[in-house]
Amino acid sequence: MQPILKLSNIKRNYGAIKALRGANFEIMPGEVMGLVGENGAGKSTMVKIISGFDSGFEGEYLLNGEQLHFSSPIQAERSGIAVAQQELSLIKTMCVAENIFLAGDSVPTFATKKTLAKNAKPYLEEVGLGHVDPLTSTDRLSIGEQHLIEVARLLAHDPQILILDEPTAALGETDSIRILNMVNRLSERGKSIIYVSHRLDEIFKISDRIIVLRDGESQEPRQASELDVNSLVELMLGRELKNMYPKRIKKEISKPIMEVKNLWPDRLLEGVNFNIYAGEILGLAGQLGSGTGDILAAIAGSTRTRGGELIYKGKTFLPKSPKEAIDSGIAYCSDDRKHDGLFLGRPISENLSSAALKSISKNGIRLPKLENEMVTENAIKFTIDPSRIPQEAGVLSGGNQQKVALAKWLAIHPDVILVNEPTRGVDVGARAEIYQKLRELADDGAAIVVASTDIQEITNLPDRVITIYRGIQIGEIGLEDMSAATILEEITNPFNEKGLQGDEDL
Amino acid sequence: MSNSSSVVKQNFIHRLARDYSPLVLIMVAVFIAIFVIGAATAPNFLTVLNIKTILRDAAIVGIMAIGLTFVTLSGNFFLLSMKETAALSIIAFATSMSAGYGFELSFLFTMVIAMAAGAIQGLLIGLGGNPIVVTLGAAGLFFGISSWWSDNLVVSFRRPHGAEWLGSGSFLGLPNITIAFIIIAIFAEFVLRRTSFGRQVYLVGSNRAAGRATGHENLSMAIKVCIIASVCSAFVAIAFSAQVSSAHVNYFSSSFGSSGDMTIMVIATVMVGGNSIMGGYGSSLRSSIGAVFISTVDNMMVLHGYNSGPRVLAVGLMIVFSIMVFALVQRGSRSVE
Repeated sequence: MQPILKLSNIKRNYGAIKALRGANFEIMPGEVMGLVGENGAGKSTMVKIISGFDSGFEGEYLLNGEQLHFSSPIQAERSGIAVAQQELSLIKTMCVAENIFLAGDSVPTFATKKTLAKNAKPYLEEVGLGHVDPLTSTDRLSIGEQHLIEVARLLAHDPQILILDEPTAALGETDSIRILNMVNRLSERGKSIIYVSHRLDEIFKISDRIIVLRDGESQEPRQASELDVNSLVELMLGRELKNMYPKRIKKEISKPIMEVKNLWPDRLLEGVNFNIYAGEILGLAGQLGSGTGDILAAIAGSTRTRGGELIYKGKTFLPKSPKEAIDSGIAYCSDDRKHDGLFLGRPISENLSSAALKSISKNGIRLPKLENEMVTENAIKFTIDPSRIPQEAGVLSGGNQQKVALAKWLAIHPDVILVNEPTRGVDVGARAEIYQKLRELADDGAAIVVASTDIQEITNLPDRVITIYRGIQIGEIGLEDMSAATILEEITNPFNEKGLQGDEDL
Repeated sequence: MSNSSSVVKQNFIHRLARDYSPLVLIMVAVFIAIFVIGAATAPNFLTVLNIKTILRDAAIVGIMAIGLTFVTLSGNFFLLSMKETAALSIIAFATSMSAGYGFELSFLFTMVIAMAAGAIQGLLIGLGGNPIVVTLGAAGLFFGISSWWSDNLVVSFRRPHGAEWLGSGSFLGLPNITIAFIIIAIFAEFVLRRTSFGRQVYLVGSNRAAGRATGHENLSMAIKVCIIASVCSAFVAIAFSAQVSSAHVNYFSSSFGSSGDMTIMVIATVMVGGNSIMGGYGSSLRSSIGAVFISTVDNMMVLHGYNSGPRVLAVGLMIVFSIMVFALVQRGSRSVE
C-alpha cells in the first residue's frame, strides 16, 4: 500500500532557529498516526506545514503521489486535509448546526436553521454527539463536546486526512474517552488521522504507528505495539528518563502554615476545610469542573468567594485581591498561563521580575543591575537558558513558558505556592524538571498545593491528596493509601451511584 | 578604511533584507523619497525660523500625545476627551487669571481641576467602563461645563500677567514651550524606562489579567495614566492661554492649528509613532517623534501652498501607512518555537 501523504526531508528555519532539519512523515489511508515529541521538537511546525499554514519550507510534499506545495490552509482543506486546532474556533453564541456549516459550502446559500439542523445531524452522529440537538446554542455544551463539534465541522468538508492537535489537552476523563472513541470510528471508515498529543497513554490506546520528532529530526515510524511508555520517552528525549517523579518520604506533621476554614468559592457546593503544611506538596484531586482550581484561586484572592477565611501567619483573613495575597507571600499560578500567567509580548526578564518590582527598585526607580542578577538567578533555578532572557516570552515553547510562569514567583520568596495544572501542555522533559523543582521548593520549606486533573500526576507528585467531587470535598488520602484507583474512585463516583456510565468502554 | 565601511554597509543592507519583508522596505523607501523631494522643493523649508516653527507646532500636540501615550501603553486605549480637558483647563486658567489670582495660583487651580477630571475618567475606566464610552461622555461633560462657565465667551486677561514667559518667552533661541516639550519628552521616557511605575504600565498594558495576578491592578493604573494625560492637556492649555492672554472653549476645536480636531491629532500622533493600540508596546519617545514628524510634513505642505483639506488627508494617510508598516514589521519579527 502506498502512503496517502508523504513528506520527505522537510527543512524549516525561523530566523536562526532550525525548527525542522530534514524530517520525514508519512501516513497510510485509514491509519491513526501518533505524532509525539517534546515541546520545541518541531511537532507544531510539522502540523502547520502539512495543513498549509506554513508554506516557507523546503522538501518534498506528496499527497496521493502528487507533488504539492500549499500556499494557504484553504488550499490544503480543498485537497482534503483538515486540522482541529488546540484553540477552539467556534462561535459560541451560534447554534451547533450553524457552527458546523460555518464555512458556508456544502449547504444551500439560503438555508433555514431547520435545513442546517437536518444536514448537521449525520456529522454529529459521526462524532458521537447524536443525542445533541443541532439547534442548541454552542456555549451550552461542555468543552469536550465543543471539541467534538469542531471535528464535526471539519468532517462536513469530507477530509481524507484529519489532524487532531492536542484534542484532549483541556478535557477531563469522560470527554477524552469520547474523543478517542471518535478517532477509532473515523479510522474504521477509512480516514487517516494524525494524532498529536502529550498524553502518551492516549497515544498508545489509539495509534497504529508512531512518529517521534526530536530536535527537528524524525525517527522512523514504529508500530505502536512494539513500543511501551518508557521506550517511547527514551526516543523522545534521546536519553533515558530515570524518574519522572521525585521520591517521596513520609513527613513529620508539624503545625500547619495555613488553615483553610469554610472557604467557599462561587463554583463549589459547600465550603472546604483543610490544612496546609510547610515542606509538603498537597494535591487537590478532582475532575475537570470539580472546582479544585477555584479553591486555589480563592486562596490567592483572584476569584469571588461566598465566604471563609484563612488562618495564616497569625492572621485570620481572606485576600480580596491577588495583590493582598502576594504581599503576604502567597503565589498562585492559574491553569491558563497565556491568560494570566505570562506577559507574552514582554521579555522573559520582565516576566520574571513582574511580581517583585518593589524589591528591585529604590524610591520607585528600578535598579537594572539588581533586577538582572535576580532574574538570571531565578531563570537558572528553573533551568531556563539565561541567554534567552531578553527574548519575548511568547516565542517560548509551552514547557518553557510554564517554567517562566512558575519561576516568576521565586522573586517574592513565597511561603505558599498554589499551582493549578502544573504541567498542562508541557512536554515530558520539562514536566520532570517542574516536578523536581516543586519538590525542591517544598524541601526548602515552602508549602505547595497542586490541583490537577491528570491522574498520573496527582497520584505520583503530592505527599497528601484531598479529593473533590463536583464541588464537594470528599476525603483525604495519605501517602500510604495513595494509588490511582483510590483517587479515581473518590473523584469520579464517591457515592457509588449507578447509571450515568455512558461510553466508558475503552 | 573605505573597505571596512563598505562591509558595514553591506551588512546593514543584508540585515535589513533579512529582518524586514520587501513590502515594508519598499513602502518606507517610497515614503522617504516623497519626504526628501518635498523637503528639497519646498521654499524656505530648511531655514532656522521654519525649523523653529515646526518644533513649536510639534510641541503643542506632542506634549498632549506624550500624556496620552501612557494611557495607550497601559492598555486603556485612548481618551477621547483630550480636547475637552484642554478646553476646561483653559477656561479655568483664564477665569482665575482675569480674577487676579496671579499665575502661580491659577496654574495650581487649573492642574487640580485637570487632575480631578483625569481621576474621574480613570476611576470609571478602571472599574470596567469602556474607555471610548467613558471618555466620550466625559468629553461632553467637560465641554458643557466650560462652555457654561464661560458663557461661551472669550475670557481674556490683561498683560502683564506674569505668564508671558511660558506663552511667548524663549531660551537660547528656542520658544519655552519647545523646551518644555523636550524636557517632558525626556522625563516621560525616563519614567517609562527606568521606574517601576513605567514597568507596570507596560506589564498591565501587555496583559491585564496577568498584571492583576502579579499584583498590578488596572484600577490604580487607569487613574494614574488618565491623570497624566489630563495634566499634559492642561499644561498645553495653560501655555496656549498664556500666549494669547485669553481663552475660549473652541480654541482646541476644529479651527485649532492646522489639521483639524485636536483630539484626533493627538491620537494620530500616538499612532504614527508606532505605539501598539492594544497596549504593552511602544514608548513616549515614539509619540514625540511622531509629533515632530507630522508637524514637519504639515509644514512642508503649507510651504507648498496646500490648504487644509489635503493636509488633513496627509495626516490620515500617515496613520494608515504607519499602522501598516508597524503591523508588517511586528508580524515578521515573531517566530515561535
